[in-house]
Amino acid sequence: MRDMTLSSVDRFGAGAAEADDIFQMDEDAFRLFYDRTSRSVWSFLSRMTGDPRLADDLLQETYYRFLRASGAPTDEAHRRNYLFRIAANLVHDARRRPRVDAVPMHESLERADPRQADAAGGAAARVDLSRAMARLKPRERALLWLAYAQGSSHKEIADALGLKTASIKLLLFRARRRLAALLGEGDR
Amino acid sequence: MMECPRESEVLEAVALDRVAQMRDHLDACASCAEVAQIAAALRGDYDAAVRDAHVPSAGVVWWRATIRARADAARAVSQPITLAQGVAAAAAIGLAFGFAGVAWRSLTSGASLSEMLVRLSARSEEIATASALVLQHALPLALGLAACLVIAPVALYFALSDE
Repeated sequence: MRDMTLSSVDRFGAGAAEADDIFQMDEDAFRLFYDRTSRSVWSFLSRMTGDPRLADDLLQETYYRFLRASGAPTDEAHRRNYLFRIAANLVHDARRRPRVDAVPMHESLERADPRQADAAGGAAARVDLSRAMARLKPRERALLWLAYAQGSSHKEIADALGLKTASIKLLLFRARRRLAALLGEGDR
Repeated sequence: MMECPRESEVLEAVALDRVAQMRDHLDACASCAEVAQIAAALRGDYDAAVRDAHVPSAGVVWWRATIRARADAARAVSQPITLAQGVAAAAAIGLAFGFAGVAWRSLTSGASLSEMLVRLSARSEEIATASALVLQHALPLALGLAACLVIAPVALYFALSDE
C-alpha cells in the first residue's frame, strides 16, 4: 500500500462526504459488502487470470467500477452478480493485454511451501487442476468456477457472465467434460 | 447430454463434505462421479484460494477509490480547458505566421519604407474600414480565448481544492 502522509489523510477526510455523493453506496455499506465479497472476488480473479498479482490490481478496479456504476442493483444478490460481471469483464480485458511479469498460477503453486500446500489439500492436485483449468477456454473456466467452486446457480452464472440462463446447463456440461478429460490426461 | 437427477444432491454432498454417504450412487453413475470429482477439486481450490487471499482492507479500497474518483473528476474538468488552450495557442501561432508572411512580402517586394508609407497613407481609408471589420469579429473571439486562459487555472483550483 502507498504510504499515507498527513496531508493525504486530511484530503481523504475532506473528500469522504463528497465520495458518498459520487459513489452508489456510502462507506459503511461498502465496508459490509466488501467484507462479504472480496475474498470470493479475489479468488475468482486469481483463478481466471492465473496471476495472483494481477488479481490484486483487478480487485481494486472491480470495486472502483462497482462504486462508480450508476445503475447498479440495490439488493445484495444482484449486487453480487453485478460485481462478478465487472470482474469477468476485467479478466476479459486483461487477457487481451498480457503482462510481462505475470506468474502463472501453477508456477506460483509449485513454488509454494509444500507443507502448507499439503495442509491445504494437496499441492499436486491443485497444480494439476490449475494446469487443466489453464487449458480451458476462458468462458469454460469462469462457468466451472462459478458453478462448482462458488456454488452459484445457473441464473447467477448467467447474470455474471452475460449469458442466457437456458444455455448454462449445456455449456457447463461441455466444460465439465473437457476438464474431466484434461484431468484424466494428467493422471495418465 | 446425460444428466442424473441426483446431480444437485451430489453437489450438496460435496459442499457439506459428505461424499462418502453417496459412494454407492457414485460407483454406479458415471455422470455423478464426474460431477463429484470436478466439484470436489474446484471446491478444494476455492477454499484454499479464499484462505490464502490477502485482500486489502475495505478502508484502503474505499480510500483508493476516493482518490481515483477525485483524479478522474479533475481530469474531466481539465479536458475542455486544455482543448480551449490548444485552440488559443494554435490561433496565436497562425496569427504570428500570418503577420510574418505579410512582413516578409513587404521586405522582398523591394519597396522602400517611404514608398510603403506613402502607399499606406493613400489607402488609409480602406485600411481603417478593414481593421474595424476585423476588430469587430476578432474581439469576441480574442475575449473568449483570454477568458479561457484566465478561467482554466481558477477552474482547476476549484476542482482540486478540498472544500
